[in-house]
Amino acid sequence: MSSANDHFDEVTGLLYLEGQLDAGHAREAGTHLASCETCSRLLHALGKESVWLREALVAQDEPVPARLAAPPERAATQWGWMAAFGLAAVGAYTLWTGYVQPGIAQAEQAGFTQRNLLTMLFFSGAFWKGWDAMRSSMEFLAAVTLGLVAIWLLRKQWRHFVAIAAVMAALALALALPAPAGAAEVKHGNPNYTLAAGQEIKTDLIVAATRTHIDGDVDGDLIVFSSSVTVNGHVKGDILGFAQELIVNGPVDGNLRTFSQSLAINRAVGKNVLSWAQQFDLDAKATVGGSVNLFAQNADFDGQVGGDLMAFAQVLDLNGSIGGNAQVRGQRLVIGSQAEIKGTTQYHGRQQPEVSPGAKLGSPIEVTMVRRGPNYTRFRYYLHRILAWGASFLFGLVLLLIAPALYSDVVARCNRPLPAIGLGILLLVGLPAVAFLACITIVGLGLGIASFLLYLVALYSTQVFVGSWLGEKLLGAGQGIGPAMARLALGLAVLRVLSMLPFVGPLADFVILLWGLGALALVFYKTMRAAASTSAATAAA
Amino acid sequence: MSEADLARVLAQVRAGDPAAWGEIYRRYAQAIYRFCRRVLPAREDAEDATSEIFMKVQRKLGTYDSSRPFLAWLYKVASNHCWDTLRRRHIRQDRETGDLEKLPLEHPGPSQLDWMEAEHAGKEVRAALARLPDRARMALVLRYFAEMSYEEIAETLGVRRQFVGVLLLRARHQLRDALGPGGAHAISTGRRA
Ligand SMILES: [Zn+2]
Repeated sequence: MSSANDHFDEVTGLLYLEGQLDAGHAREAGTHLASCETCSRLLHALGKESVWLREALVAQDEPVPARLAAPPERAATQWGWMAAFGLAAVGAYTLWTGYVQPGIAQAEQAGFTQRNLLTMLFFSGAFWKGWDAMRSSMEFLAAVTLGLVAIWLLRKQWRHFVAIAAVMAALALALALPAPAGAAEVKHGNPNYTLAAGQEIKTDLIVAATRTHIDGDVDGDLIVFSSSVTVNGHVKGDILGFAQELIVNGPVDGNLRTFSQSLAINRAVGKNVLSWAQQFDLDAKATVGGSVNLFAQNADFDGQVGGDLMAFAQVLDLNGSIGGNAQVRGQRLVIGSQAEIKGTTQYHGRQQPEVSPGAKLGSPIEVTMVRRGPNYTRFRYYLHRILAWGASFLFGLVLLLIAPALYSDVVARCNRPLPAIGLGILLLVGLPAVAFLACITIVGLGLGIASFLLYLVALYSTQVFVGSWLGEKLLGAGQGIGPAMARLALGLAVLRVLSMLPFVGPLADFVILLWGLGALALVFYKTMRAAASTSAATAAA
Repeated sequence: MSEADLARVLAQVRAGDPAAWGEIYRRYAQAIYRFCRRVLPAREDAEDATSEIFMKVQRKLGTYDSSRPFLAWLYKVASNHCWDTLRRRHIRQDRETGDLEKLPLEHPGPSQLDWMEAEHAGKEVRAALARLPDRARMALVLRYFAEMSYEEIAETLGVRRQFVGVLLLRARHQLRDALGPGGAHAISTGRRA
């Protein structure tokens, strides 16, 4: 290291100065120093630097704050926290029993197993209007985002990648729909796909194509992703369809579940119908053996349904017959002269339903008028707000405990609202599109649904981040879990009150959503960049 | 307080004597507070950390090995606590280990050596220190304030013993940059992007 005419480097100088060299090297360095002006000078300078550094550090520059004059008390039982925990638990319980369980029960009644419930969640979330107009830009966005995610995954250390892949695979496996492998035929349109009349598929059929015509018969289920789908043949299993336009002219023995801009049913469906559509048409010739669950902007309902009808529709024009009960929520309900409802009819809406004198109703229609906005005079309203606060607090707490670094990073990113909100707008529409396209194209339905659920979680978490940020502004940035919980609790409470304000509330909710989402995305972007540069540096070394 | 006195008071603390604990606290609170103040740039953080550290000390007193200096043990507890706090905020800074070796091989130039030998106002040094990356600041404080050994520093910061010298020297370079003209830029390059 240091022969007589070879100066030692600065690290060695520092180690010598601090007595950290082993005996041999120290002797060598000492010998060199005795004869070398340059190295002696360096050592002197390092020594001086140590001196002023120590002086600056040990200086008694400020007195100990009065707060620290006495030893800290052992923390007393914190009633506030216990109350918050209790409330949070009650909130979670209420959400579960009030919303999740009835939802599952209702879905199971309508012929859904728990497994399919996830599909349903995905469908309902992915419902948005007029996606055809945005399709090309979304495809671009999706490709870019998926590319970034792929780079991020691949750039990470291998074992991390394996871990993520394992988790994702497990998720995908758990969520997997009727397994596409094995007993199914998979067809890719080029760009269109036609199953000719007279042909028969003996198994399930999975189709991805621009235009799809099913003129032949399918013995199993038909799963189709396509811009336009026309089914003229006989499908003996279920139809699961994602499409812009979906027309069913042939009989379906099983269930019909679709996510589409428009759906027209012109023949018999043996079991149940579940549809998310902008425009829904049930032709007068059409029949449904089971029940119909409908989420639509416009619904023309002229056919015959053996079971119940449950509809969320902006406008529902009912002129067909319903064997069971009808439960309708919407803005407008028109019951025509041909209509017949054997069971009870319940309607929640903003306008009185228009019922034709010719209509046959098993019992008088029960109408609940929905007021615009919340009912501020009701106790339940406030109770619900408090429980919702408790639930979000519990969620935030879990987030804080399992991912503290991510948590504080995102909260810090909230400091610049404008870029975050801008990015949030982009992502709010972009991410479901990505998840949706992921379903169709690259990674398969299970993973697409998994990412969609993550997206819903991310949306819910936005209030936690913005709330924490707000809490920090109000309470200051104290260290430790206690102050962090206090910030979270206060911030969420303020947001909750804000969202209760008339007119301003919904707008504030929306801005908070965008803000938090953008901040979250910025952190992920930063992580990606850091991971990329780390692995680039590792590769270069 | 002599060594024997300290041992007696500590024994009283272990026996649950609040007055003895108050005595220990009064004697060491200032040192620990100042340590926290150097390591955690925000004043409130340092105050919180001081309280938390003493609560921890009270719980962990049983693990104190009386053959070692009590203050050194306190600093060890304090540094672990503060480092955890910092790491919880910026967890990914741990990956910096890879570029520890990016140090200039040649000696600092003559003007730099003059500058190193000159006096520097403590206030400015402390302000510059607060702007350093967490690990660099921590290393300097552990060594030149708490007077920890290289082994203890390595243990606290989770690096190998051989890296401590490099870590300290790099921190000094960053401090020189931060104190010197236009220093703020040079620091940011040393920090995680
Ligand atoms: Zn030399």
